[in-house]
Amino acid sequence: MPSLLKEFTLIAALTLTGAAYSLVSGLAPLPWAEPELAAGEIRLTDAQALDVIWVDARPYEEFAEDHIPEALFFDEGDWDSGLIDLMNTWLMQPRPIIVYCGTESCGTSKRIAERLREALPEAEIYSLKGGWDAWLK
Amino acid sequence: MAQVDTKAYLLLIVRLVVSAAFLLAAMPKIQDPVAFTTSVEGFRVVEGDLAAWVSIILPWLELVIGFGLLIPQIRRGSGILIALLLVIFISLHASAWARGLDISCGCYGVNQTDEPSNYLWLICRNVALLIGCVAVLIRDWRSDIRSRVGLPPDQSGRDF
Repeated sequence: MPSLLKEFTLIAALTLTGAAYSLVSGLAPLPWAEPELAAGEIRLTDAQALDVIWVDARPYEEFAEDHIPEALFFDEGDWDSGLIDLMNTWLMQPRPIIVYCGTESCGTSKRIAERLREALPEAEIYSLKGGWDAWLK
Repeated sequence: MAQVDTKAYLLLIVRLVVSAAFLLAAMPKIQDPVAFTTSVEGFRVVEGDLAAWVSIILPWLELVIGFGLLIPQIRRGSGILIALLLVIFISLHASAWARGLDISCGCYGVNQTDEPSNYLWLICRNVALLIGCVAVLIRDWRSDIRSRVGLPPDQSGRDF
């Protein structure tokens, strides 16, 4: 058992040394630093300063429960009808489109935003950083 | 003619596979901890600063124990930690699947960030790695006991 304890100690020491290297070398941002914005993303505070079309990419049950006011529900599985609804809204009054899904890490909003950029190349399209969770905060 | 110890060679292959799985998982996460933080938060178990710390420390732990499984001095400790991590990963995937979370696994880096997870595949893969890891761990434990009581190495002498 003491030898096992030595092994764990050595593993912990090597791991912490590696983690310290990540922090010191700048490979990893400091955990308490402001998170960066990925390409195509927009922060909620910036989005709220604009007149935008909100697109809700969460499952319908979650959309029905609550959503951002005037948000359009967008079912990725029913792409064509979702796109037609969105185009109608956008053509009536062109403005930035912001897609959101449930959380910071859900890939749906980024994926839909990417596809929408191809379908609507003239539109300004973002995915919301932090998703619905950011709105709730 | 020397008899080939098939079991020993099989266990060596399993050891190399488990080790490689952890090394390959660690490298892209060490290179891009920000993207991994997003994946960690997606499981909705830890968030904020804690998720950032996990995404900095966990890849290094995976790297150390991935190599550790091949280093006699720390292979038992590494094996135990790998098994423990695999149990945690399996539980997290099962939990995320049950909650219907739309997340990326983040298991092998950032290229798959936008891909929805195939939970069944992830769980099966980790269960297979866990079985392999336990087999290697049992072998190491027996080998350690034999050397401590002064017995010669296992049967054919091939003690991997």
